[in-house]
Amino acid sequence: MPASPRTSLSTLRAEIAALERGVGERGVRSAPEVIGFGDPRIDARLPGGGLALKSWHAFAGEGLDLETAAASAAFVARLAVPLARRGELVWVLRRDDLHAPGLAGLGLPAERLIQVCARDEDEALAVMEDALRTPGVAAVFGEVDEVDLVAGRRLQLACEQSLATGFVLRRRPYGGAAKGESGSAAATRWSIAPAPSDPAAGDPGLGPPRWRVQLERCRGGRTGAWIMEAREDNDAAHPFRLVADLGDHDLAPEERFRLAG
Amino acid sequence: MRRLYSIDPAAAALGLYVGQKATDAMALVPELGAAEADPDGDLASLSALVHWCVRYSPAVAADPPDGLLLDITGVAHLWGGESEMLDDLLLRLARQGIAARGAVAGSAGAAWALARCGDDRTVVPSGAEAQILASLPITGLRLEPETAAQLARLGLVRIGQLASLPRAQLARRFGQAVLTRLDQALARAEEALVFSRPPTPWFARLAFAEPISSPEDLARASRDIAQRLCGRLLTEGQGASRFELAFHRLDGRAERLSIGLSLPGRSTGAIARLFAPMLETVDPGFGIEVVTLAAAAVETLPEREISLESIGEIAAEDGIAPLVDRLANRLGEGRVWRADAYPSHLPERAVVRRPPFAPAAATGAGEEWAKDRPRPVRLFARPEPIEAMARVPDDPPVFFRWRGQLRRVRRSEGPERLAEEWWRRPPGETGPAHVRDYYRVEDETGARYWLFRAGLYGGEVTPKWWLHGLG
Repeated sequence: MPASPRTSLSTLRAEIAALERGVGERGVRSAPEVIGFGDPRIDARLPGGGLALKSWHAFAGEGLDLETAAASAAFVARLAVPLARRGELVWVLRRDDLHAPGLAGLGLPAERLIQVCARDEDEALAVMEDALRTPGVAAVFGEVDEVDLVAGRRLQLACEQSLATGFVLRRRPYGGAAKGESGSAAATRWSIAPAPSDPAAGDPGLGPPRWRVQLERCRGGRTGAWIMEAREDNDAAHPFRLVADLGDHDLAPEERFRLAG
Repeated sequence: MRRLYSIDPAAAALGLYVGQKATDAMALVPELGAAEADPDGDLASLSALVHWCVRYSPAVAADPPDGLLLDITGVAHLWGGESEMLDDLLLRLARQGIAARGAVAGSAGAAWALARCGDDRTVVPSGAEAQILASLPITGLRLEPETAAQLARLGLVRIGQLASLPRAQLARRFGQAVLTRLDQALARAEEALVFSRPPTPWFARLAFAEPISSPEDLARASRDIAQRLCGRLLTEGQGASRFELAFHRLDGRAERLSIGLSLPGRSTGAIARLFAPMLETVDPGFGIEVVTLAAAAVETLPEREISLESIGEIAAEDGIAPLVDRLANRLGEGRVWRADAYPSHLPERAVVRRPPFAPAAATGAGEEWAKDRPRPVRLFARPEPIEAMARVPDDPPVFFRWRGQLRRVRRSEGPERLAEEWWRRPPGETGPAHVRDYYRVEDETGARYWLFRAGLYGGEVTPKWWLHGLG
């Protein structure tokens, strides 16, 4: 009996949903391994309830931070703290200005971190791919300007073959022209900006660092925006504390500052 | 006065000799063809020959003005024996138009004597040096000319005569040098030779009947030779962390490649893979006839034990170490590192880099960065100047301008006063102008900066503000 259009359509839908959830080729459902943020307001937006391991994620700063990659690097380092227990970390640089004591202060142990300074963009991507394929590597960070579709697919393949998670930190060369949005092969794409810290009352100094985190794209999940703070108790499993859920819409905080200035 | 520096066999047959006055020689043989002596050129040719000879043994020492010493311990079997090896070497030299004599002996001194005064291509069985050298003239002992002349006047012309004399008397009359030379020749004393590279018994060699030049052949050759050497390393329980691969071309030049491993190893595959990307830089010229591979930094590498507990875990030798090797060989060794704490309060000196698998103690570090002193995520190699406005001395700035943009400081922490390490500075360059007061500040957007004021207000020099790090 020929299948009615309705049933074939629903079969197709089910297949697509299964593909999006990551059902293996042999039909074996492999539960995607994730690192959760420890707060349902974030985790519910992400497929599997957290940041998917064995895939790569793109992070970009805003404004000048796209060149300096300071706040975004701090966020990514903090995000990867739970991975440091699983294996080695490799950080691929283009410009050699990463300061290990700063990372150690965020909880990323320097003795687990191998830094590699690549000479150009292609080399940085090749090193990332090589490192992602290596058994024993838990996370690979790469500071690159752009990941095109082909390079992104290669990174994804490398992640799937091993157990590593990739963190692409978009960083533009100083004075370089901004490139268009890319990274459609990434599992998630985030935009990171610093947010004013809020120390305890009476404390004159700086509070724990905060970030305004925007999940711009998420395969199989929903976008969102939050303000997160580095937890002070250094709980290695959940490095962030959710300060505010900014909802599932685009923010325009720049306006606020413009008005204030 | 001009004298003959060197002569060829034809001139020798006419009765000319080295050291003869040039005018006398010209008078005896008016048709004599002479050229200016060129000792520097000779030395350069000799050193080129040293490099050429590396195809026979990695340990080659130049013996100016006209000699070469090869340490062939453990390599002669590659040619089927010492005398075959010597024949091959002399044959190839002759083909290049170099007249040479050679000998193989248990000591450099004996080989020297035999090559110059003995029968050509003598191979001395080990322990027979004294017997064979006995009949040679004492000029074979590398003595000072005056000593040799003195000995000759006394009728001591053969090495055997000298060796039979009481040693104490010999030393008293002719000096210790004679005894030393005698002992060196008779393999009774060690002699330190200056090899162009350290001698290593870890050496493999592949010769081809037909010269090779295609990239596939080079790759196959490098794999085959790695397999040979690694097989030996494995059977003897050793591993090496440096390998030098040399392609010896038909024209006598050699193309060299070298790789390093972060942990000693002996895996053919790993070594061949590290050499593979470099092979395209090899210019085979008219062809490559010999490939050699030498291993250095060889150390005992026990068979790895595989215990039940370790199954499932990934050892560094399997994963990270090969990755580090690949990266270090492709990008350069300085481009792959781990950061270690160094006991210095200056931020730019608080981090030292070490190769990822070097022991931490090698850098003298092993400390940890102080947890109570937060540091930025990005540190500039050179602090960038900023224009800053502080309300009162010793206060953090209220706002500052960096890269043309004004930033209003919302919160700040500090100062953390860091003095220059005056003991590393010449006198006069220390003092209050070199004190840095660091502040961590946060602007209105929450972006964090690490800035410092160099110098103090009220001094002779107006303090300057710098941005040293971000995040």
